Amino acid sequence: MRKMGYLISINCVKLLITALLYTCVCSSSVEQKIYVELNQTVPCVRLLNATHQIGCQSSMSGDTGVLHVLETESDLDWILSSGPHPPYMVILETAFFNRSVMMRMKNSSRVSGVAVIISKTGLAHDFSPHTTCPNQNTGVYSERYGSDLANCNVTVWNPLGNGLSYEDFPFPVFALKDENQTQVIRKCYEDHNQRVNGSAPQYPLCAMQLFSHMHAATDTVTCMRRTDLQNRFGINPEVLCDPLSDFNVWTSSRALNISSKGHAVNESVVIAATRLDGRSFFWEQAPAAEGTVSGIITLLAAVHALYPVTQEAPPPRNIFFTFFQGEAFDYIGSSKMVYDMEKNDFVIDLNNVHSMLEIGQVGLRSGRSLWMHSDPVSRKNDDVNAEVLEMMTRMRSAAAGLNVSVAHPSFTQALPPSSLQRFLRAGLIPGLVLADHQTSFNNRYYESMYDDAENLQVTYPPDLSPDEQLVYETDAAKSLAEVATLVARSLYLQAGGENSSLSNITADPKIVAQLLYSFVIQKNNSWLRSLLPPEVTKKGVNSLLSSGPPQFYIGLGPRVHGPVHSVTRFVQYILANLTGTVTNLTENQCQDPSELSSENKDLFSYFWVSGPVSVNSSSEPLCVRASVRLSEAVSPAFELLEYGSRDYSTWTESRWKSIRARIFLVASRELEMLTLGVGVAVLLLSLLATYFISSKAELLFSSAHDTPTTAY
Amino acid sequence: MNLERIPNEEKLSLCRRYYLGGFAFLPFLWLVNVLWFFREAFLKPTYTEQPQIKSYVKKSAVGLTVWVAVLTTWITIFQHFRAQWGEVGDYLSFTIPLGTA
Repeated sequence: MRKMGYLISINCVKLLITALLYTCVCSSSVEQKIYVELNQTVPCVRLLNATHQIGCQSSMSGDTGVLHVLETESDLDWILSSGPHPPYMVILETAFFNRSVMMRMKNSSRVSGVAVIISKTGLAHDFSPHTTCPNQNTGVYSERYGSDLANCNVTVWNPLGNGLSYEDFPFPVFALKDENQTQVIRKCYEDHNQRVNGSAPQYPLCAMQLFSHMHAATDTVTCMRRTDLQNRFGINPEVLCDPLSDFNVWTSSRALNISSKGHAVNESVVIAATRLDGRSFFWEQAPAAEGTVSGIITLLAAVHALYPVTQEAPPPRNIFFTFFQGEAFDYIGSSKMVYDMEKNDFVIDLNNVHSMLEIGQVGLRSGRSLWMHSDPVSRKNDDVNAEVLEMMTRMRSAAAGLNVSVAHPSFTQALPPSSLQRFLRAGLIPGLVLADHQTSFNNRYYESMYDDAENLQVTYPPDLSPDEQLVYETDAAKSLAEVATLVARSLYLQAGGENSSLSNITADPKIVAQLLYSFVIQKNNSWLRSLLPPEVTKKGVNSLLSSGPPQFYIGLGPRVHGPVHSVTRFVQYILANLTGTVTNLTENQCQDPSELSSENKDLFSYFWVSGPVSVNSSSEPLCVRASVRLSEAVSPAFELLEYGSRDYSTWTESRWKSIRARIFLVASRELEMLTLGVGVAVLLLSLLATYFISSKAELLFSSAHDTPTTAY
Repeated sequence: MNLERIPNEEKLSLCRRYYLGGFAFLPFLWLVNVLWFFREAFLKPTYTEQPQIKSYVKKSAVGLTVWVAVLTTWITIFQHFRAQWGEVGDYLSFTIPLGTA
């Protein structure tokens, strides 16, 4: 009998454990039955500078609103005045994402958030959320320098700009990029929120909640002060915002010794510069094809074309190639490099600089000529003017044998927004900015999410595999290769090289095609993988090589984000591949070659890269030696602790706890109140019942026979 | 502590201790004094120590009202104007709310 009982209890225990495991594994909790989490969303975050805050902010516990899709003007009236269920969460169709609609919603109290559908259908002819005069306060033109040219008085560079990126919105704005997710939202809207014959829809309604609470407020000065106070006196030290920072990439045709800082003796340098970054309205989205990638590819291809010739027949002057990060945010990278040069904290200083050529936006040439922009104020100085005219002559002669023509704008006009302006702030430097536009930008989607491959007119024939697309030479690639050849030849002439070697300098369209594919279509391709270190190519959540084109937003730098920003890494390793030599060092020697006498860490950097994939699809890592360096791109305002500086960039990005979005059904207010009321009533009733029962306890619970108390 | 069981002299000395203690920037002692000894001072039949207890309770009530008025005014001003005071407001604050001015 005991054994039977034992067996039965064992079986009961087993049953219990199985039942528990079943419920745990199934985990169909109540929360999942209510909320649908939206994972593929991109927020708009808050950025601060010395005087203002821009971007979007939500409440700490998220902003909720009834969904409404804005497809027509009558929808806008419904949301702003006549709809009976405010506040609304607006799903904005692409065509309506413009300044007038957004400002009307900003001023209304009936909008609790906006989700913008990002797609090409219905896209306006132009859309630039940037300002009309980019970086107007931190350029070279001011009341003291070219006052008649300041603030885009003569030429408005970005006339299509609506300034949305620089507005401060009190509600969250998210971007919906994934078509399937947008479909889910639309279905919820159509099932519950659709208006039937013009009458209002009935509860329960589909609602969306957006969380993007930003910690920083007011401006950078306030935010940095509060961070300091928290760290010194507060019980809960928390950083509220971080400065935008990353690295510039530079290299030179003759290796420079980085252990010697300040003026370099007997070095006359021609700087060839371009920018590395872009931005858009949303966080970390910046395809920046025409705005940034065209310049990067041109300069990289020019480096590749120039390098063998500068080794065989070195020109008298050194050529210093540099890629500046953070130029969209008041010239972070170039102001830092100029600051370092002024403080003698860089390998060269401003007296070493002979002249400067900057590559602006050069992608939308469409067979027309390129324009050489110069600064009329500095050209009032005779020496500078003579050098600039010489530069233009050299450029014209370099363009002579090519399919490109160059011209100079015939009227007095300011320089377009460019890093050369920061160098001119520090001294009179003869320089030119090369661009495809004479007056305003040709780029209709400047600094927006739509400045992508299609804007740069990069199209591939159908039915090509990714590897075939990688090497296919599109028209855009060929056009950029011509520009690169022009730039390379002009730089060689500018550095004092001989005319006779010019014909050997030609940009390789295949390299340009590979660069174009990597920077605007897909960064995870076989060529780029072979150039990067082996650990990067391993798959992982934080891998540099996720799918799709790279995004060019500067980000917060290594202190917050881990390793160097992906685009900076790519440019660094591509430059190492194009200008470096393969050495036969082992991995340990490559990490630290200071012991080897044949290698010089002061002149070169050593990179351990994956190497090309051989026929049997394995790659042998190897060590590449190149004179490619990174230099810090943090605004000098943060080094000098002048957070309210008017001269330097003071841009910071706020921190946040969580950013997410979800949709669910909401009931009417009356139903909520009714539920609460019923609950309170049940509570009071149960209290009353308990009181009565306890006061009449002897009466209710006395047993029929009293237990006899036997008294002996 | 049940005041019923204490002799009257001890009640007086307790009331006096609470009254004097409130001057050390402790208005809650005055609040306790008023609430605890209100019944003793005003609602009980007269006994020898009662007039003194009554005066202590009245003076505590006056002090309490002054404190409440000052604190309410300061708290209202601070909550309303902290954002506009900028740097001064931040130095006066112990915890600063995230994300708002």
